[in-house]
Amino acid sequence: MQKSPSLKIILTEWYRIMKSKRLILPINRIVRECRDVNTYFFSHQLEAKPGQFVMVTDYEGGEKPFSLADSTTAEFAITVKRVGQFTSRLFQKKAGEYLALRGPYGSSFFICPHRVLLVGGGYGTPPLYFLTRKLLEAGSEVIVVNGARSGDDLIFCEKFRALEVNYHNITQSGCLDRKGTAVDLARELMNTIKFDFIYAAGPEPMLKALQEIVKDTEYQFLMERYMKCAIGICGSCTMDPLGIRLCVEGPVLSRLQIEQLSEFGHYHRDATGARIYFNNGQGFHD
Amino acid sequence: MNQLLRTDFLGIEVKSPLVLPAGIMDMSYSGMAIAARNGAGMVTSKSFTLEARTGHKGPVVAECEGGILNCMGLCNPGIKEGLREVEQFRKNCETPVIVSVFATSSQDFITLTEHVNNSPADFLELNLSCPNVYDEFGIPLAASPGQVSSIVRAVKSIAQMPVIAKLSPNTPDILPIARAAEDAGADALCLINTLGPGMLIDIRMVRPVLYNKFGGLSGPCLKPVALRLIYQVCCEVRIPVIGTGGVQCGEDAIEMLMAGASLVGVGTAVYIRGIEVFSAINREIAVFMKERNYRNLAEIPKLKDHLDRMVQDNEE
Ligand SMILES: Cc1cc2nc3c(=O)[nH]c(=O)nc-3n(C[C@H](O)[C@H](O)[C@H](O)COP(=O)(O)OP(=O)(O)OC[C@H]3O[C@@H](n4cnc5c(N)ncnc54)[C@H](O)[C@@H]3O)c2cc1C
Ligand SMILES: Cc1cc2nc3c(=O)[nH]c(=O)nc-3n(C[C@H](O)[C@H](O)[C@H](O)COP(=O)(O)O)c2cc1C
Ligand code: FES
Repeated sequence: MQKSPSLKIILTEWYRIMKSKRLILPINRIVRECRDVNTYFFSHQLEAKPGQFVMVTDYEGGEKPFSLADSTTAEFAITVKRVGQFTSRLFQKKAGEYLALRGPYGSSFFICPHRVLLVGGGYGTPPLYFLTRKLLEAGSEVIVVNGARSGDDLIFCEKFRALEVNYHNITQSGCLDRKGTAVDLARELMNTIKFDFIYAAGPEPMLKALQEIVKDTEYQFLMERYMKCAIGICGSCTMDPLGIRLCVEGPVLSRLQIEQLSEFGHYHRDATGARIYFNNGQGFHD
Repeated sequence: MNQLLRTDFLGIEVKSPLVLPAGIMDMSYSGMAIAARNGAGMVTSKSFTLEARTGHKGPVVAECEGGILNCMGLCNPGIKEGLREVEQFRKNCETPVIVSVFATSSQDFITLTEHVNNSPADFLELNLSCPNVYDEFGIPLAASPGQVSSIVRAVKSIAQMPVIAKLSPNTPDILPIARAAEDAGADALCLINTLGPGMLIDIRMVRPVLYNKFGGLSGPCLKPVALRLIYQVCCEVRIPVIGTGGVQCGEDAIEMLMAGASLVGVGTAVYIRGIEVFSAINREIAVFMKERNYRNLAEIPKLKDHLDRMVQDNEE
């Protein structure tokens, strides 16, 4: 009997799915970025794009999403901020210990080969580093704003400085070059320079404030919602009112999508699915 | 809208026989709405409990050959928050909605039913069959005809909308259980919940892949088991059945209908074929119906009737 077209589609889909198997990898090395932030490197060619994430577990309870801070033909990396039980446990791991990972999952950043602005806050900065490398390969002119609460919390400075980019630090404590938020600096830059595209990743209050000052430039933000399955079935990460599943249609969303999301900057959902409202202004660079 | 697919379920008109089953993309109103917009004729909420539950720790899902294992652990924001999502769904979308609830005693099921009575739900579904909370609550209620009977009877005595009992495949004989639900007044059945539970082992780290060790199996590998149970039950009971388990294309949905189902649940296929799976299956069902000159879903033969007719013809 002839196979129906629908069955053919499904068989190809299964092939894709079977390929996205669980990876069991030793931590190749750990780099301490600051007191509460570590980067974990794995020797494996992941074939991921900037903006995508992996689900990580140590089988001790918890499987959590982390953005790729870099991915090359030889290795990939995730940068982790210690915030709770799972991430604290990751901080006790040593090079050579194994983790189980699945992915890469989700959407990736559009590569705009012109003049672009990147705005990163807190642990939002690492995925922008991966993006920067890809933008430079495409010939973009890259301007980076990296915001943190204080100089001690600032990460990836040296890594960005080693690239051909126009790089700016800014901290709320003002202990380095500039005092203020990443959005303050972005506003200044936007007033003097015409950008073709804006990328941002960081805490939602920061993204919301940035959105409010962008006039007509196209942008993409890397967003976060509580994720459990990461394969688009459990519904934990859906965003209202579009029903966007952030683990599949995101985590990188475009201006057109973000503008329609009434929950953006307003609320998110916890592990039970209950709404948690953002406390406006707080957690700008965390 | 495709007239071929329009049907009637317990007096409510649905535009497609496809149902988004409980636990799939339904933690929020917008998740249910996107399924409806993509062609689901009916949607089901997550199974709500009296109090909020965070569910099990991860990993809560794992892929395997032909399906996935899950041990979500009934994470939900609790009935009050949950019904707020259902209300918002109703404001955004006209598609009929089933509210699923989970409890372990008749008393709690009654309290949940009282909440649902004050909501825009079109149907109430009793999840008597979650395989992922054995440790906490013991063997599912759906394993015992007596329990099923007393819970359905209690709920039916106060429910202001039709009641659907969702049964488990994890029982040696489903017929006494299906009959018990029907006799106690259930208006419909939903068959089946996830199979198993099953487990997967990470051979490099020598650990169970799911943190909860065991999880319910869903997806294509489930379909033959689901078909058999639905066929058996539909031969025995008169109330309509929502056939769920492993459906991923139009042919699968037709199989469910032939086995005796009135509506067809599509869950894990959302992962396999994306959210467009509902419109795709709708299209595939319609193509098959046109090929065969079926003018509506009721003209698709039921296997039981077909076999009965063959026997009759032979006798004549
Ligand atoms: C797409 C995406 C990319 C991310 N990338 C990074 C990254 O590159 N680096 C990094 O340090 N963190 C990243 N996170 C956040 C990271 O997943 C959480 O910090 C981590 O799960 C916290 O776990 P915990 O047990 O240590 O803390 P908990 O005490 O459990 O929680 C602390 C906070 O972390 C968040 N969180 C907890 N569990 C989850 C979950 N399953 N999904 C989403 N958020 C959760 C919640 O907002 C919670 O309030 C990302 C999240 C998402 C959704
Ligand atoms: C992630 C996930 C969560 C589920 N949650 C529930 C639930 O809360 N209540 C319920 O009655 N069934 C739940 N189920 C079972 C489904 O509703 C359905 O019966 C089962 O998955 C078989 O259909 P499928 O193969 O089309 O997915 C869940 C299934 C999955 C995969
Ligand atoms: S995490 Fe389950 S749908 Fe996105």
